[in-house]
Amino acid sequence: MTAGDAPARPVLRPLRTLAAAIVAVLLAYLAFAVPASWFPSSPVKQWGVRDLTLPRGTGGVANNELIVTGTDTSGQVYVAVTTDLRARDYATITWNARNVPLDADVHFLWRTDYAPKKIFSVPVGVESGRLLPVILANDAGWLGQVTGIGLAIRGTLTQPLGISGVAAKPSGAIGILQDRAREWLAFERWSGTSINTIVGGDEVQPLSLPLLLATSIALAAAVMVLRQRFRPAQPKADLAAAIAIMFVASWFVLDARWTWNLARQVQVTFAQYGGKDWHGKHLAAEDGALFEFVEKARAEMPTAPTRIFVASEADYFRERAAFHLYPYNVYADPRTNALPPPERIKPGDWMLVYQRRGVQFDPSAGKLRWDGGTPVSAQLKLRGEGAALFLIQ
Amino acid sequence: MDLIGLILGLLLLWAFGIACLVALPRRTARADEPGGGAWTIGAGGLAGFFLATLWLRVLSFAGIRFSVIAIVLPLLAATLAMGAWAVRRERGTTGDSLRDSLRNSLRNSFSKFRADLSGRSLDRAARVLWRLLLLWLALRFVFLFTEVATHPLYPWDSWTQWATKARVWYELGRIVPFERTDAWFAAGGAAYFDAGPHYPGTVGLLQVLACNFLGRWDDTLMNLPFWMLSVAFAFALYGALRAMEFTALSALLGTWLVASLPLANTHVALAGYADFPLAMYFCVAILACLRWLKTREPADAALALLMLAACPLLKIPGRIWAFLALPALITGLLPQRGPRVVGAGYAVVVTGLLLLAQTSPVILGYQLHLEFAPDWEALANSFFLYDNWHLLWYGAIAAAVVGRRQLLTPQVAPLTVVIAGGVIFVSFVLLFTNARNWLSDQSTVNRASLHLAPLVVIWMLVVFRAWAQTLRGPVFTALPEADAIEPLPDVPPPATPPATAIAP
Repeated sequence: MTAGDAPARPVLRPLRTLAAAIVAVLLAYLAFAVPASWFPSSPVKQWGVRDLTLPRGTGGVANNELIVTGTDTSGQVYVAVTTDLRARDYATITWNARNVPLDADVHFLWRTDYAPKKIFSVPVGVESGRLLPVILANDAGWLGQVTGIGLAIRGTLTQPLGISGVAAKPSGAIGILQDRAREWLAFERWSGTSINTIVGGDEVQPLSLPLLLATSIALAAAVMVLRQRFRPAQPKADLAAAIAIMFVASWFVLDARWTWNLARQVQVTFAQYGGKDWHGKHLAAEDGALFEFVEKARAEMPTAPTRIFVASEADYFRERAAFHLYPYNVYADPRTNALPPPERIKPGDWMLVYQRRGVQFDPSAGKLRWDGGTPVSAQLKLRGEGAALFLIQ
Repeated sequence: MDLIGLILGLLLLWAFGIACLVALPRRTARADEPGGGAWTIGAGGLAGFFLATLWLRVLSFAGIRFSVIAIVLPLLAATLAMGAWAVRRERGTTGDSLRDSLRNSLRNSFSKFRADLSGRSLDRAARVLWRLLLLWLALRFVFLFTEVATHPLYPWDSWTQWATKARVWYELGRIVPFERTDAWFAAGGAAYFDAGPHYPGTVGLLQVLACNFLGRWDDTLMNLPFWMLSVAFAFALYGALRAMEFTALSALLGTWLVASLPLANTHVALAGYADFPLAMYFCVAILACLRWLKTREPADAALALLMLAACPLLKIPGRIWAFLALPALITGLLPQRGPRVVGAGYAVVVTGLLLLAQTSPVILGYQLHLEFAPDWEALANSFFLYDNWHLLWYGAIAAAVVGRRQLLTPQVAPLTVVIAGGVIFVSFVLLFTNARNWLSDQSTVNRASLHLAPLVVIWMLVVFRAWAQTLRGPVFTALPEADAIEPLPDVPPPATPPATAIAP
């Protein structure tokens, strides 16, 4: 790697060794991951949102997804599907669900013609709001013809839960590798957590691509070291070069995936914001409605920056409203949904309320009150859907 | 039209930084060093943007309202003056006329820079690879530019505690204080409030500069300085690696390893946080320190000091990062005793912190408490299973293991002690302070590590090279470019063997 090096070293041998190591690591992984037959003949069976029923809980279908908004009176949700599949042919059941509470008690249920009066169940793991695949190949109750499957969720739904379908998979070697590849190549679009962490594809990945590549490099390097022990004539310097080549090639694989993801993100960003001016972009953003209301509020307010308090239940809306209001002298509590006591607010201050309970205005008396405190004199300057702007007097 | 104004304004800042660097006194011409041109362009960019934020502080202190004229005219004049000063200095050494001197200087610098950046020193296959890699890097920067120029300010802290200041300072045309709740109420409208009122203002000032050049508030385009800084950083890395005697291909590979870190890319695409700017300034600061240890040029020392000064003004942990230059200097200046002195210093600091941690003190906003209960799963996800870093931490650990005997050699030790100090700092924050609560939700662990990550890449390359050289047997000091080698004079063989020839 110094300036005097001749860089023309054969690169194909390390790459071949790396490829062989990747195959070896994948085979080792499959030895653990394939629950039944390596090469099954049955195809994957899938049930979409139209096949799902919701015997327990509340919700409906929207955007090709069953949206569960609440539990029944006993705190349960039950989603059911009528099936007709031979248990022996299908080792894994995969639910395509999102926003599942991490602390929810989730069980997969099924019924068979073998014991028609009995309902079998196994717990289902939850990770990142998603349901982990349920492996049934070795379960004593997974026998005969499966006539119905279901999902029982017990817990508090803090946000609507979405289920877009369920699949029964034979989980052979090819199928598992296809699943892993799909997870690695899944589009990871910008989210609120992107600035903190990049998963690298699907949120849930039983086999991480960086781990696979790193293990493969380690295996290939170990093989090379051993080979060198038995062939001392081979120059040792080749080992370092080979490791460097394998490392850079593996890094490139990861980088190609990441760049491809970035390219897809550019497309999405451009579709949402491309060709729009600053104002248009904010109207097209997630908080477009709030931005629109704040723009109207700004038109009502004096040009000189005055003090304004922002009230909203959601941290997101409170802070976004504050951001849109600067350079007015905004006060928005960043962490709690608390408004200052009335005595700290003075005439000439403003208050913007957006989707917040506990704020009352009496137009006849011109009194504004929040959280049951002492009313203050105020004038309603602007009203929107779940939003209002007041001038304190 | 306003976009052109923005780009021209930002390029002026870049040129201003380059002019500052070339005007600094030097004993040898920077363009004569391998990678000298790339280093000047890259480090110059970082210097220019930071100096411009200092200029805004001066304007505000002097009560002069921010405006294009107040920013552009002095910086343009300073750029021209320093450029002229550098040319005049060149003229003094060559005795040419001013015009000839300027022409020769530009031509000479450009041809050296082009030669360095064209990978001409490589053989054909390596040159093809070099160019493909450059294209791959360029493609990434195109994608990142599109994102920065299209996406409105997006990540949470960017609009709750960083750009809040930019908006206020831009609209008011001066820096006004941001205060915590009680002080804000007491100020009666004279102070402002946001989610991080005590955070340093450099990021906000970078955005203020962009908005001034643009002529309006735009929370999308105001982030272009982040993209430009990342491009400048890539130049600086390439130049630094070339100066460390890496080949053009190896230097570009190293640059790509840093420029392709997914979390670093995300911090450019979703610009607005101070973490990646801090990482860039800290990395260039340490690289400038290493250059100074090698060259003892005042220009390198001045640059190192400037970059170190930027760290605490970017983010509060920057105070600790800037402090880490000291172990590098001690190790570099005292190759024999330095590592032991620094090791003892680290031991004292760690012991002191462990003792302090018995009483839950608050240091730099972090509450320290001795309760070792790390979330190993979250740590494994962050560093090894998720794609935040590609293979960086695997590579760093492997390099540390195979190159363990080279870690404290004089060439590697200054970098090793910085990395060791950084790892101790990040580990302490994440394992022994309230920040460990942010491990499980992945909200801070990666951003804290990002400050050190670019330097870890450089260290990994340096250690790996040192290890590879031991496999190759005794290695002579790397030679300069092939075309710079002078042929040896023909020496006639001695007529008789010397008297001290090998005895039987």
